[in-house]
Amino acid sequence: MPVMLPTIIRNLFGGPATRMYPVQVRDPFEGARGHIEFDDDKCILCGNCARQCPAAAIEINKEKNELVFYPARCIICFVCAEACKKDAVIASNKWRTPYYTKPVEVHVAKAKKEKAKKE
Amino acid sequence: MAPRTIAPFGPQHPVLPEPIQLKITYENEKVVDVVPALGYGHRGIEKACELNEYPKNIHLCERICGICSCMHGISYCEVVERLWPMEVPPRAKYLRTIWSEMSRTHSHLLWLGLLADALGFESMFMQFWRIREKVLDLLEMTCGSRVTQSVSVVGGVRRDIDDEQKKICIRTLQEVRQEAEALINVLATDPTVKARTVGKGVLTKEQAILLGNNGPHLRASGVKEDCRMLGMQAYGELGFEPVVETDGDCYARALVRARETLQAIDLQLEAFSKMPEGEIYVRPKGSPPANEAVYRCEQARGEVFYYAKGNGTRKLERLRVRTPTFANIPSLLVMLPGSELADVPIIVLSIDPCISCTER
Amino acid sequence: MIENLKEISKDTLLQEVQKFADAKARFVTTVCSDLGDKLEVTYYFNYSPGVDMVALRMVVGKDEEVPSISGIYLTAVLSENEMFEQFGLKVKDMAIDFGGLMLLGKDSPVKPMVKDDAAAGKGGE
Repeated sequence: MPVMLPTIIRNLFGGPATRMYPVQVRDPFEGARGHIEFDDDKCILCGNCARQCPAAAIEINKEKNELVFYPARCIICFVCAEACKKDAVIASNKWRTPYYTKPVEVHVAKAKKEKAKKE
Repeated sequence: MAPRTIAPFGPQHPVLPEPIQLKITYENEKVVDVVPALGYGHRGIEKACELNEYPKNIHLCERICGICSCMHGISYCEVVERLWPMEVPPRAKYLRTIWSEMSRTHSHLLWLGLLADALGFESMFMQFWRIREKVLDLLEMTCGSRVTQSVSVVGGVRRDIDDEQKKICIRTLQEVRQEAEALINVLATDPTVKARTVGKGVLTKEQAILLGNNGPHLRASGVKEDCRMLGMQAYGELGFEPVVETDGDCYARALVRARETLQAIDLQLEAFSKMPEGEIYVRPKGSPPANEAVYRCEQARGEVFYYAKGNGTRKLERLRVRTPTFANIPSLLVMLPGSELADVPIIVLSIDPCISCTER
Repeated sequence: MIENLKEISKDTLLQEVQKFADAKARFVTTVCSDLGDKLEVTYYFNYSPGVDMVALRMVVGKDEEVPSISGIYLTAVLSENEMFEQFGLKVKDMAIDFGGLMLLGKDSPVKPMVKDDAAAGKGGE
């Protein structure tokens, strides 16, 4: 017991090691992997992200000009963000909040449409 | 002859973080026979690795285990690099070493906390986990995630540690070392801890070798064997010397892990000071050739064995993972018979069982 | 390329393994892989640290029976049971026989690691 005394005294007079979590949230680190978002204005539906995604969370539908993203399948590895050459995948350091039903995000690629119109 | 009773130990038990069942036959509180029953966490990852393209397997292999996730990813990348073969830039090797040692630090701190918890030393458990949190914060800062780091890729690493992060890492690691040293001092000298662990579950040097044990479990029996001595990654340049204890009981295993925690922090500090500048990634060309390779790496729990066989396509022909606990479970069949029923949790915990690893 | 590989047959397996046990080598693991019509079984041993592993390799037919080395190295029992479950390799006289229920359950796929069409699954989900 006497060996642990310094630790005990420090703990007695030191503050708590934990935070009042839902009220007080620590800011995420700059490079933390939180979640991904898509920038519809930049996406050209090249499919790099969908091919490299290890969890098959992104599907490309070229006929409908759509990118379908299943957030519940995403393992937040950010491989897609590195694969995207147009910076259309935005890596965010904020975590998603929990959800009751599995959401499905449908993104219409605008950059692709405009390019088609011009031609 | 006293009547024999068969009691199930697990699959849900306070000392077991993961499910394994041991059917224990005992006679007057003395264990006579043990039969393990596995299969609660089998996910078929080896098969899944044959169906995926090889870069996607990194993320799959990282999910073999939660605690050693970083080292599973690195081991997979290293075995595929040996298939080619290709060389990784020196800075990437140092970064891999730093992250491996960081996960060893947090894994050993977790285990020391669990040991204290199994002994009923609750306050010690919380102290260890509090300082472990600092290491997890460092991992989140440098890798982006607390547990599944996903930093290693075939050909190098995905992230670099800049000077500012390096300063924070060094400062925090020195703090952690100081606090861990004080706590380990308590754990090593406390009479109640000694009463519960000294002389329990003894394995001699010969038994340990014949049972194929590995990791801290083997080194506690006096065998100087550590895969880091093979000099992979940057270990060859760091002057690494394995930690060895000779008693082979639960107390020796705790001491090995405690001293390795401090050693891991020293290795990280040394790696930070020696880390060269330069590239962190080289792009592998084409797909893995028809070749085979083996790789061994020292995880926190022991030696992990990776075997990969390529067939010239973008998928692997076969991937085999032998995790440390897979080889350490048979030693329970020797250690447990003859021990008191009350010592069973401590002895089971002393091999640092990781069942998700074992069953893959 | 696997270094220090020695090709053996199933008849000489026990003698070869006994040599490792006498020399106080540590058993590392077994690796089984499917060659199509045959199974390839490799046993890995390690003498001391800093030295590469030594491997014994044998190729057996899919319905042949091989002797168990768990009498010499008890620790091989888990990987032998695993080979039986995943590849259907018959191993004679295992120290503990889980009867194909070590990792798999009663309703699991049979011999999931064998590469024929019946057992192969799809990638992705």
